[in-house]
Amino acid sequence: MKGWDILYYLVNGLPIGAIYALVALGYSLIYASAGVLNWSQGDMVMLGAFIGYNLHCLLGLNFILALLITTPAVACIGMLVERIVLRSLRKRSSPPVNVVIGTLGVAIICRNLALAIWGPDAQLFRSPVGSVPVEIGTLRLFPQDIFILILGIALMILLQYFLKYTREGKALRAVAQDRMAASLMGIDVGKSDTLAFAASAAMGAVAGILIAPLFFVTFNMGAGIGLKGFVAAVVGGLGNIPGAIGGGFFLGLIESFASGKISSGYRDAIAFTVLILILWLKPAGLFSKITKETV
Amino acid sequence: MERYKSSIPTCLYKLGFIAVILCVPYIIRNLYYLHLINLIGIYCLVVIGLNILTGYTGQISMGQAGFFAVGAYTSALLMMKLGLSFWVATLIAAVVAAVLGIIIAIPALRLTGPYLVMATVGFGEIIRLILVNWVPVTRGAAGLTAIPAPSLFGFRIISEKSFFYLIYIVVALGILIAVRISNSKIGRTFIAIREDELAAKSMGVPTNTYKVSAFAISAIYAGIAGSMFGCFSGVASPDAFTFNDSVGFLCMSIIGGSRSIYGAFIGSVTLTFVSELLRFMQLYRLIIYGAILLLTAILMPQGLSGMGPVFRKFSHRWKGKRRLHGNIQHSQRKER
Repeated sequence: MKGWDILYYLVNGLPIGAIYALVALGYSLIYASAGVLNWSQGDMVMLGAFIGYNLHCLLGLNFILALLITTPAVACIGMLVERIVLRSLRKRSSPPVNVVIGTLGVAIICRNLALAIWGPDAQLFRSPVGSVPVEIGTLRLFPQDIFILILGIALMILLQYFLKYTREGKALRAVAQDRMAASLMGIDVGKSDTLAFAASAAMGAVAGILIAPLFFVTFNMGAGIGLKGFVAAVVGGLGNIPGAIGGGFFLGLIESFASGKISSGYRDAIAFTVLILILWLKPAGLFSKITKETV
Repeated sequence: MERYKSSIPTCLYKLGFIAVILCVPYIIRNLYYLHLINLIGIYCLVVIGLNILTGYTGQISMGQAGFFAVGAYTSALLMMKLGLSFWVATLIAAVVAAVLGIIIAIPALRLTGPYLVMATVGFGEIIRLILVNWVPVTRGAAGLTAIPAPSLFGFRIISEKSFFYLIYIVVALGILIAVRISNSKIGRTFIAIREDELAAKSMGVPTNTYKVSAFAISAIYAGIAGSMFGCFSGVASPDAFTFNDSVGFLCMSIIGGSRSIYGAFIGSVTLTFVSELLRFMQLYRLIIYGAILLLTAILMPQGLSGMGPVFRKFSHRWKGKRRLHGNIQHSQRKER
């Protein structure tokens, strides 16, 4: 493999990896705080893309302004999901698989509401940073890809800052470590769940706006991205924030190499095979220590 | 439990029930409804397997459509390319599905919760992508067409009515076997693994063997159902076996009550009919469908088949038997 080839696959894999990482962070954050899987995460991406499309392309709002309105709007939807769905499920102490089904119900509702509102056609979202590639040697860098990487990484740093240095972030980490002990220390665990859902939805929304110019905006775009984000989060180790970021980039790179080197049709199959093998070797994810349950 | 108490009246009920079932194709003349009822039977088989795996053994699978697809394609290809009879092909399809179930169980043995979900999702997707991309054998996205109809002693099973009998005899057998399994030592071991794997292991239960066999059993059910699905619909294409279909099976299992074998039937009937009944809503159909999923997940933690004690509780409350009510609440709490 020549050096240029490797660079080419890197350049292809990193931006999509950043998107996966953002979605994976959402899964991981919610799992860390509430200990559940939220299957409506992918549809937050879709809602972000659609609301952004509405504001930026239809209403002609500035891209940054559209981003700043979309993100809190979708965060509110995430909060609603936690308040309405998760709290009622918790109150009845349902098994975890019921949370999966409940949030899947939310996902189906979101998807079809979007279908009812925006119709079945794929919408074109023009890139706010233009589409003229920068050429370095034989390499072509698209401005949107660079934009995704910069904004994505900035958001990840922001999240780390939030978790490490703010009061709410510290509370969230405490809940992640030991929910019972945290609640005994007077931390409002419900608030921390709400926060985790809101932050996850917000990151999903940003991922949605960022990925919209790469693919078309459709009502069912959330399903695929949501699944990939989930896979990335699991491979990185659910509940592990740096793991989710690593898992996202790892998945993006595997896909890029698999589609370039082996076959684009088998791209996802190869990615899944690699991931299952990884889980076989490291059952708690690539970046987690194996903790064997003992009595 | 019922078995030991069965007296003449319950026997009569059972016979009456069977008689009613046998008359269904003569009562329901509408071929479309009969088609749906047949589909329900096929889904029910998959969900029975899923209940053994998810409800009894506690291993969540979101890749059941993969086994279903393997069953459909294996038997269809064997019948089309080698000219085997449906029965032999189904048998081989079940074996192939079981082998795949064992293969996926090997990584799954070490995984729990979300990690297991990911592995099974991955398995389902891998199978689907192989079906899409292995064009020389599977004909890719177009799928297999003109899958021959099964025949029995020269009688070709091709009409909805004859398929009804084929499918429901298999479903009845499937339910019978599953109930026997769930009431046996194997079933109790499955439940022990679900409740506390570590405790089961420390009691000397070979948990790995039982987990692998739970995967194999669920794969066999899905494989046989797939084989019948291929012949029944005459076509098998990859988009009938997507992640969404796996999710659909899981929803049927949870809504019917994954900890009961009959729950599989209740779940597949409910979801299929709900989805059909909502057809008049057109655009809003799936929104309502999602809302129903959400509400059942919230309001019925044990699924529809778990609603029995709740109904009894209410009826006793109306009759003023508060003593029993307390008992039931207590037993429900223990369930959790």
